[in-house]
Amino acid sequence: MKSMSMKRTLIAVLSAIGLAWTANAAAQTETLKIGVVSALSGPGSEWGLAQDGAIKIAAMEANAKGGLKVGGKTYKVEVISYDDQYKAALAVSSATRLIEQDKVKFIVGPMGSAATLAVKPLLEQNKVVAIIGAYSEKALDANTKYSYRGFPTQVEFVGPIVQWLKKNKPDLKSVAQIDPNDETGWFSQKLLKEQYQGAGYKVVSSELFERSVKDFQPVLTRIIATKPDIIELGTTPPGTAGLVIRQARELGFKGQFVKIGGPGVPQIVAAAGKEFAEGLICYAAADATTPSYKGLETQYAKVLKPPMNEFTVYFYDVARMLLDAIQTAGTVDDTEKVRAALDKATPYKGIQGPIRWGGMKAYGVNHQILTPTFIGMIKNGEQVIIGQME
Amino acid sequence: MFELATKIVINGLTSSLVYILMALGFTLIFGIMRVINFAHGELYMIASFLVFALAGSLGWNYYLAVLVAAVAVGLFGALLERVLFRPFVGRELNGMIMALAISISLQASAFILFGTDEHSVPRPISGVLQFGGVIVPRDRLAVGLMAVVVLAGFYVFMRYTKAGLAMRAVVQDQDIASIYGVRPKIIHPLAFGLGAMLAGFAGALMAPIYTVYPYMGSQPMLKAFIVVILGGLGSVPGAVLGGVVLGLTESVFATLINTTVATMVSFVIVVVILLVKPTGLMGRSTR
Repeated sequence: MKSMSMKRTLIAVLSAIGLAWTANAAAQTETLKIGVVSALSGPGSEWGLAQDGAIKIAAMEANAKGGLKVGGKTYKVEVISYDDQYKAALAVSSATRLIEQDKVKFIVGPMGSAATLAVKPLLEQNKVVAIIGAYSEKALDANTKYSYRGFPTQVEFVGPIVQWLKKNKPDLKSVAQIDPNDETGWFSQKLLKEQYQGAGYKVVSSELFERSVKDFQPVLTRIIATKPDIIELGTTPPGTAGLVIRQARELGFKGQFVKIGGPGVPQIVAAAGKEFAEGLICYAAADATTPSYKGLETQYAKVLKPPMNEFTVYFYDVARMLLDAIQTAGTVDDTEKVRAALDKATPYKGIQGPIRWGGMKAYGVNHQILTPTFIGMIKNGEQVIIGQME
Repeated sequence: MFELATKIVINGLTSSLVYILMALGFTLIFGIMRVINFAHGELYMIASFLVFALAGSLGWNYYLAVLVAAVAVGLFGALLERVLFRPFVGRELNGMIMALAISISLQASAFILFGTDEHSVPRPISGVLQFGGVIVPRDRLAVGLMAVVVLAGFYVFMRYTKAGLAMRAVVQDQDIASIYGVRPKIIHPLAFGLGAMLAGFAGALMAPIYTVYPYMGSQPMLKAFIVVILGGLGSVPGAVLGGVVLGLTESVFATLINTTVATMVSFVIVVVILLVKPTGLMGRSTR
């Protein structure tokens, strides 16, 4: 009897000590959970991983400084990532899980217009501050309160690139477009068509393809029959764009390829072959030769497998803005205060130059990040910067 | 006009040959073991990755890599049969679910090992052939020719060897075949291995044409499925006919209208066939 009660007492005491220990430990560092729902696999994952990598780098750097100090407490920043494979349905279920089960108030993602438009009502309703990545203009409007677009869209950079083309390659007159058959592709085609036509080009064909297609011979046979000078690849994911380039060249297309859309030169070169990819003119998010870019690449290798996509630069800057805004607001729970702080956070020192919010005129709300952007050309398998736009 | 028609037919036939390779393996496995092999696309994918590793990273001769990859996948298929499918002989539903589980596991393993990047395999043949106004990429033509060689070999095997004869007997009637001394313990792994090897050839040959990535098997799997439904589950000539019909139809509609319509039409054809002749163009009804 006595040994039983002694045993019980021992267990009770040990449990009490254990509980006190864990409670104590928990009180010292709390966790700030930031969610990621993005395309982490499949086509388009180059860009999704840019979002994921960016916030992971920002979190890693904050934790290396001992944690994020917010309102008197120190927080370890933890990133919870879910893969939506660039699909709207998966994005919705992942976002729901993040909000309801993981109880996050800050999300980086989604990547892709279809996924973003599907998830946005959920985010606004739950007052979740989000850094979205969608080219569609519908992603931001006058009623948007909690979503911020972390990268410039074609609306911001297509004009300067088309002008550059007109000035530097004046003998190119006609354009054929090819884009994926979903929200991202529809928007891109419509916008680019307007811009090209506005600049005096003739748009001779506009083709859409299902994202699962790999054999572009039928589509390209039709396109090449319209005799375009330029094939505009738009928002085609880089790996797929490389396939289009290769197959078009094999079908005898000798004209100019242009990609005013999501970047990804390494994947394009890998899929098209160095020889065929030569001379592609594309939108470039960053100058990969600068020390700040290379520094970010080193950081990226610590959190994800290289190579790093240029988009990471944008999302890294905005992720830091978000963490700073949380600190300024002094709270990890009150997203109203964080949102207000984030609105006021510009101009901000990005790693490529100053960035600020804008977009009131185009979208009705100042939640569009405005950053320096570049024009690139593929020379000998590498991207060379041939122009810069503010 | 003639040029366009030639282009459409050549495109269609080269696609058909790959579909037939996939469908034959699939239909063989079903005909002999009554297993709907949902993992067939992943066998294709594994062969592609093997070629990527051997010919791409290690620098082997491409054709040697194709042979090694196909045989390796064939052996892997036989192993799968022995270890994972044998407990479910005769139980179609269980076999199907096991195949599905294997498919998901293989995709995930490939993703863990190789990541999400689309890899490129160096092309053994490049450039184009030009007949008048018709341009045909050489690599696709080569794939078509090699597929014909593989299919010829398969035909010879099935028609003129004892094992082939035994397999055809099992497809026709398993019980009577076993009375004649055909042993399932040998025929089943042989059939699965052979079917897997055909998928392996398809994957290995197609590796340099597009890109190699973990989820690349789903499309060929879907095509194999459609071809087999079209031609009749378990029918070898049906698989060939179905492959040709699908390849040509897709090519015609994709070139003249667009790929979305082509995909839609291929599914509509399946629906029509299932309504009019549910056992497929050349299938027989099971008792």
